[in-house]
Amino acid sequence: MPDVEAPVRRTRAAERGTFGEAWAIARALVWGMRITLVNMFRKPVTVHYPTVERTFPNRFRGLLALTYDKETGEENCIGCRLCEFICPPAVIKVEMLKAEKRNYAKTFTLELYACEFCELCVQVCPTDAIIMMKSFDLSTSDRREMLLDKDRLHAIGLQHEPSWATGNKLRDMQAPPKKVAGEGHAAAAPGGDA
Amino acid sequence: MSGFSSLPPALQATIMSAAVLGALIGILAYVTLLERKFAARLQSRIGPYRVGPHGLLQPIADGVKLLLKEDLIPASADRPVFNLAPIVFLVPCLLIFATIPFAPGIGVADLNAGVLFFLAISSLEIVGLFMAGWGSNNKYALLSAMRAVNQIISYDLPFLFSALVPVMLAGSLRLSDIAAAQAGLWFIAYPVIGQLAFLAFVITAVAAENRAPFDILEAESELVAGFRVEYSGMKFAIIQLAEYAHVLGTSFLGALLFLGAWAGPGPAWLGPVWFLFKALFVFLLLTWVRWSFVRIRVDQILRVSWKLMLPATLLLLFATAAVIVWRTPHA
Amino acid sequence: MPDVRAIDYAGSERLTMNMGPQHPSAHGVFRAILTLEGETVVGVDAVIGYLHRCHEKLAENLAYVQYPTIASKTDYVAAMSSELAYVMAAEQIAKVEVPKRAQYLRVLVGELQRIASHCLWLGTWCMDMGGALGGGATIFLYCIRERELVLDLFEALVGARLLYGFHQVGGVRYDLPEGWTDLCRRTIDLIDSRVDEYEHMLADNPFFDMRTKGVGVISRELAQDVGISGPLLRGSGVDFDLRRAYPYSSYEDFEFRVPVETAGDCYARYHVRMVEFRQSARIVRQVLDGLPEGPISSRPGVKSLAQVKVPKGEAYARVEGPRGEVGCYLVADGSNKPYRMKWRGASFSNLSVLPHILVGASVADVVAIMGSVDPVFGEVDR
Repeated sequence: MPDVEAPVRRTRAAERGTFGEAWAIARALVWGMRITLVNMFRKPVTVHYPTVERTFPNRFRGLLALTYDKETGEENCIGCRLCEFICPPAVIKVEMLKAEKRNYAKTFTLELYACEFCELCVQVCPTDAIIMMKSFDLSTSDRREMLLDKDRLHAIGLQHEPSWATGNKLRDMQAPPKKVAGEGHAAAAPGGDA
Repeated sequence: MSGFSSLPPALQATIMSAAVLGALIGILAYVTLLERKFAARLQSRIGPYRVGPHGLLQPIADGVKLLLKEDLIPASADRPVFNLAPIVFLVPCLLIFATIPFAPGIGVADLNAGVLFFLAISSLEIVGLFMAGWGSNNKYALLSAMRAVNQIISYDLPFLFSALVPVMLAGSLRLSDIAAAQAGLWFIAYPVIGQLAFLAFVITAVAAENRAPFDILEAESELVAGFRVEYSGMKFAIIQLAEYAHVLGTSFLGALLFLGAWAGPGPAWLGPVWFLFKALFVFLLLTWVRWSFVRIRVDQILRVSWKLMLPATLLLLFATAAVIVWRTPHA
Repeated sequence: MPDVRAIDYAGSERLTMNMGPQHPSAHGVFRAILTLEGETVVGVDAVIGYLHRCHEKLAENLAYVQYPTIASKTDYVAAMSSELAYVMAAEQIAKVEVPKRAQYLRVLVGELQRIASHCLWLGTWCMDMGGALGGGATIFLYCIRERELVLDLFEALVGARLLYGFHQVGGVRYDLPEGWTDLCRRTIDLIDSRVDEYEHMLADNPFFDMRTKGVGVISRELAQDVGISGPLLRGSGVDFDLRRAYPYSSYEDFEFRVPVETAGDCYARYHVRMVEFRQSARIVRQVLDGLPEGPISSRPGVKSLAQVKVPKGEAYARVEGPRGEVGCYLVADGSNKPYRMKWRGASFSNLSVLPHILVGASVADVVAIMGSVDPVFGEVDR
């Protein structure tokens, strides 16, 4: 482990007289060139995208998507509009459709070109309907393609791998533990943490 | 080659010049790729990779791109000067290859005063450089051209002196004589004097060619592209080509003066190949220096030249003379 | 102080040169109208505001739960410190207690952010001095390579690389994932060894010394008069670091050295920041060794817009960012949005020293000085 108290290498050349100074300069120049030469033989850090994809970490905040319920196959979104209200740049617009057993979203538009990818919408969603994916690949030459409607959002949800975060998992991670069955730390939340 | 020698001399010279020029342009294009790949590896990255296998078609792609670019001339530019400047800059940089012998007997013009011709012609590029800076009618370009003239003139003297050391050791200004004199011992291996002269040669060469750490004239972060800033398309390509030609020419000169030119193991026809390798070695050395150091200010550059390099190379010349006199057996 | 408007612009040897907002070394969008006599600068007219995005007005329209993500965009190179200032101000007014683990996590990301920001500073400064096609670019790429390692750490923690939204009123939003502490330790060790390499390349290097020693000297009196902060202040002999003088977020629990240099030139500021590299690594190791268990927020996670209401009051919270003192003055009126927010950007105050030190320097020195002042225009223009 490096000695953190050692002073940064400073020049003491001036104290050594002309020959000492010339020698120090020569040595410093050679040392500098040596570092570049050493780097030449290190493996380059280039990743050959798009032939090679980098691995995304579990919590990657990528494209947004709407999800279906795993068991019933129904849409998770209940049209409560909490994501619309929380979004800082206000890119989400939702219209609620009331039905007997539960509500739905009649329309759900998300302007991805203005989205900040802050994950606040994911955080507030009570039903884990809106999540983020491990992909950022939506470059296009027409900005209208980045105005995502509900079908597009559902399609993205089926196309890519989802990130770890959902509303309930995030809120569980952030909540102070209940006083009752205090078993240590909220990060050991169910659903695993990656 | 007997058929060749029987041709009229004018035709011989034309064919030789054409051959050298053609080979030169080809090598220059790929020397740019070599520099980019070498620099990339120094920086933990790969360099051109996609255009052709491992980037081998990159110079061609760059050439085609520059040909197709729009040729912008600023409205207030001095047109004749602006248009002529790249050519006036290019011609001396290509002409320096005229005196370099690539093998015993092969070369465009093996002048008696080869070294002198080389150094004199290579200084002519300053005219083209200043024309470019002036004709652009741009304060940045003008500032950069002024700095460049200052710098190249200051460094040409120490450059000349350090090139004169092998001349004194060989006793002739003719380049093929200098190369032949190194058959036994390369001049760089000459104790102390050889190494010091080579070091001085490298330093002054880097400065005379406006390469980092002495590249204040093009200081991208202050003056963007310096005197070249208003050039686009093929004119820019010509200027770039000229700069690389100058660097390569100096590398060839360095390889000839200090590293024994075509001397190397193997048959005689392998000579030019060895020469090319040595020149590329000097070129890579200059490139390695370029990519390792930050640049210094113009007044510091000039101070290094007049207060350090000029006295040092003068001293070296006197020392060389003393050594030669001391070692020559008196009749 | 020389009155820059009294310059005789009509002098015949004088050249007015515009180092315009689009410039490879303007460090962002900064316009300096330089009046030159030959190669020496005799007058500076600084024009800012090209990156103004109305942060302070935005803060009046966004709730306390929404704004931290936007706050990271002021000093976007050191986003964690920027968010922290806003969130600490709200917590001061509302008298919210932040749990110990959250405080330690804030210190952890703050110091990692300092390392990343200094990597960027060193790389861009050397690139400015060495040119995009010269030796400077080499150091730039090495520093960026190291910065990428820290950004990978943040990506594993938060999901984002540059602008995080990590802080919220009451604590932080994300806890450490599995295996992150080991990755962090390895990264810190690697960065320590690479910083050694940079020092080797630059220290005793005559070219570097010529460009930085004696250049852009800020005297101690000037530093205190003009109101600069951060490495600029400590490079001029004033021993002031907010983490030591007004400790926040449990900084008093950690041992670290505050570097102070007296020379006041670019080399002194460089030295201060290089020591800060090591000390930040030291703090990160201490945090990882002593991280307590517990909740990461004293308030439940954000569920709705009206969740965080701050009672009437005002507070000024200050954070030692990589560039200096980042401050947020908040006036709350009891609702879920602030009544007024005033942002003290470190770089804005640091830039006010430029007319004093640029006059008399040569054009090449302008670049070296601007780099050592290290402005980020997100904070200057807000």
